[in-house]
Amino acid sequence: MQQNEIRIEQRDSVTVLEIQGDITVFSEPFLNEAYTCASNQGAVKILLQFDGNAYINSGGIALLIQLLAKARTRDQEVAITGLSAHFKKIFHMVGITKFAKIYDTLQEALQKMS
Amino acid sequence: MNVTSDQGEMIRFLDEQTLEVNLPNKLGYERIAMDCTASFARIVGFVPERISDLKTAVAEACLNAMEHGNRGRSDARVIVSMNFDGQTFSVSVMDEGEGIVELPEDPDIEKKIERLEPPRGLGIFLIRRLMDHVEFNKLSDQGNMLRMVLKMSRSH
Repeated sequence: MQQNEIRIEQRDSVTVLEIQGDITVFSEPFLNEAYTCASNQGAVKILLQFDGNAYINSGGIALLIQLLAKARTRDQEVAITGLSAHFKKIFHMVGITKFAKIYDTLQEALQKMS
Repeated sequence: MNVTSDQGEMIRFLDEQTLEVNLPNKLGYERIAMDCTASFARIVGFVPERISDLKTAVAEACLNAMEHGNRGRSDARVIVSMNFDGQTFSVSVMDEGEGIVELPEDPDIEKKIERLEPPRGLGIFLIRRLMDHVEFNKLSDQGNMLRMVLKMSRSH
């Protein structure tokens, strides 16, 4: 079964979740654990950094929607970086960008979120 | 054309413009159909942006076939047939299910975030947005087929 490796790193006021691997329904335990861990550490600004070559399907997008829903109830700001041009388009199409800003690079995201 | 072998297996003969992938009903194996479709589309000259669209649409059609059409049955199959006629690239994804009775409404992200509608249910929406034409057909006695078309004229 597919696995994700998620590294949590604090960069000033931003908690970066560096997510390796594809984002599908199989990512649920990995994403949930990383998000819960970050939240328990008091994360207020969360940046999801994806692998630019990742395959993301509708099951994975649904997990991100669930994460955004939880973040909203906790007043956390969530942003996204590391997406390929194709998945930026898909995230716009679905409407994810109404709830999470997408940045082209990690540096840009950290600068704007700090 | 279909014939039956000595062992009783159905053998399908495909023309030279058609490829077919026969998948087990296993989540994750949609990647095989995606990669095969992408290779075929690349060979016949589609640009990378449209190939990415095609890969996502094929993946979502296969996932729907596995989860909803075949209802996760491990003994069911998903057949992905692709054809290029010089102008249009068509992909048919067949499962053993009953087919879609009613097309779902477009997802409402705000309702999903407010948990007023389930987070899933994005597949058909993505397929329809990414492809030039989509059809849903109930096959007479063999199951259900989703056929999607990508036109060369839009892809350059």
